[in-house]
Amino acid sequence: MLKKRIIPKFLIRNGRLVKGVRFHNNFREAGNPVSTAKVYDAYGVDELLFVDIDATPQGRPATGSIIERVSEEVFMPFTVGGGITTLEQIAALLASGADKVCINSAAVADPGFITQAASRFGDQCIVVGIDYQRRDDGRQRVVSRCGTHPTDLDPLDWALRMQDAHAGEIMLCSIDRDGTMNGYDLDLIGSAAQRLEVPLIASSGAGSLQHCRDALDAGASAITISSMFLFSDHSPIKVRTYLASNGVQVRSQRGSHS
Amino acid sequence: MIAIVDYGMGNVRSLRNALEYLGEDVVVTDDPAELDAADRIVLPGVGAFGDAMVAIRERGLEEVLTRQAMVVKKPVLGICLGMQLFARSSNEHGEHRGLGWIDADIRRLDVQRPLKVPHVGWNDLQFAGDDWLFQGIRAGEANFYFVHSFHMVCHRPADCVATIDYGGAVTAVVRAGNLVAAQCHPEKSQDNGLKLLGNWVRWTC
Repeated sequence: MLKKRIIPKFLIRNGRLVKGVRFHNNFREAGNPVSTAKVYDAYGVDELLFVDIDATPQGRPATGSIIERVSEEVFMPFTVGGGITTLEQIAALLASGADKVCINSAAVADPGFITQAASRFGDQCIVVGIDYQRRDDGRQRVVSRCGTHPTDLDPLDWALRMQDAHAGEIMLCSIDRDGTMNGYDLDLIGSAAQRLEVPLIASSGAGSLQHCRDALDAGASAITISSMFLFSDHSPIKVRTYLASNGVQVRSQRGSHS
Repeated sequence: MIAIVDYGMGNVRSLRNALEYLGEDVVVTDDPAELDAADRIVLPGVGAFGDAMVAIRERGLEEVLTRQAMVVKKPVLGICLGMQLFARSSNEHGEHRGLGWIDADIRRLDVQRPLKVPHVGWNDLQFAGDDWLFQGIRAGEANFYFVHSFHMVCHRPADCVATIDYGGAVTAVVRAGNLVAAQCHPEKSQDNGLKLLGNWVRWTC
């Protein structure tokens, strides 16, 4: 039986891990990416997600050198995002050891890029990240370029369009909840999981064990966790034990060689 | 020496790192002479079936690989798309001929909601308890990482040595003589994956 995935999300800025609140403020230093990846490998997490948050604003692709170093140390799946705009950049990141890439702003700029990327590297390789925020009129709308460029796209409509464009997975990230540790956006996760035929990754808002369970019960195939792992005493082992004891299918084994 | 076939389709770095972690000498190559000289060959692969066969043929590798696999009978390991290429055919985006080393065809996963395609994540291998390939891997903890939309349909049931449950039994690992092929990614499956790779590198067929 397929397990629900627990994915630590690492934001990278200037080669270091950081974590902020709602994409903008209060960035806190959170350690060295390679050594942190090793720690999470030892915890037996299911996958790692690295997002180079300076890449799109600085107009360059996510850095491959950190990924190369991680792939020498840990033998587990990882996804890399940030600033990806060309097929060559995807090829380079995959050659660095990434299994999947996460594309966000480039999909908004040109939805056809997702179809091109999927046809060259396979649908399963292409994760489309969708950041969205509630506007003053109460509607949630997609925001691209690391939370700086508002659009008129409805996040659920956009997720379905990206599925039609051959995205292999969809990651939904509520900017309003990012770093708040107030819980995932269960309404959208629930409706998106029901409509999507590809796996849905729920991102942003995890602050308690119950939050994790709620997002998976709502239909997410995977959850990302960032602040909760970095700044609370909830380890991946605690999360997994809690989920297993509440009937969620998660991996039983520790997993790592280290 | 283990040769990883470099045909521009796949995450060879992780595979190389995992085999070197196990203490093996590894060469990543598309040179027929090096494939001839290697003790073992690994065929990795990520992407679309048709593109992969074109890439293998464009590099002139089909003949040398088939000779090593079917005449010299070296141990050859296929992983993910590399595994699927061992089959006769695939209907991923049109009909494509494969290497034809295993009597099998590649078809899209046919599952019902709420199951998703692609099948992404960790799933439990089911295998015969005394199989050497899975030595040291405990039943019930035999989870491996998968990421695929198509799967292998074997026409000789004995070739399929491990399955997973995803809306029914799905082929996870096949073996026929000197050929072993895995739909999952052992190089990304932490401890279990390293054990499977370790069992394979120690195997003399």
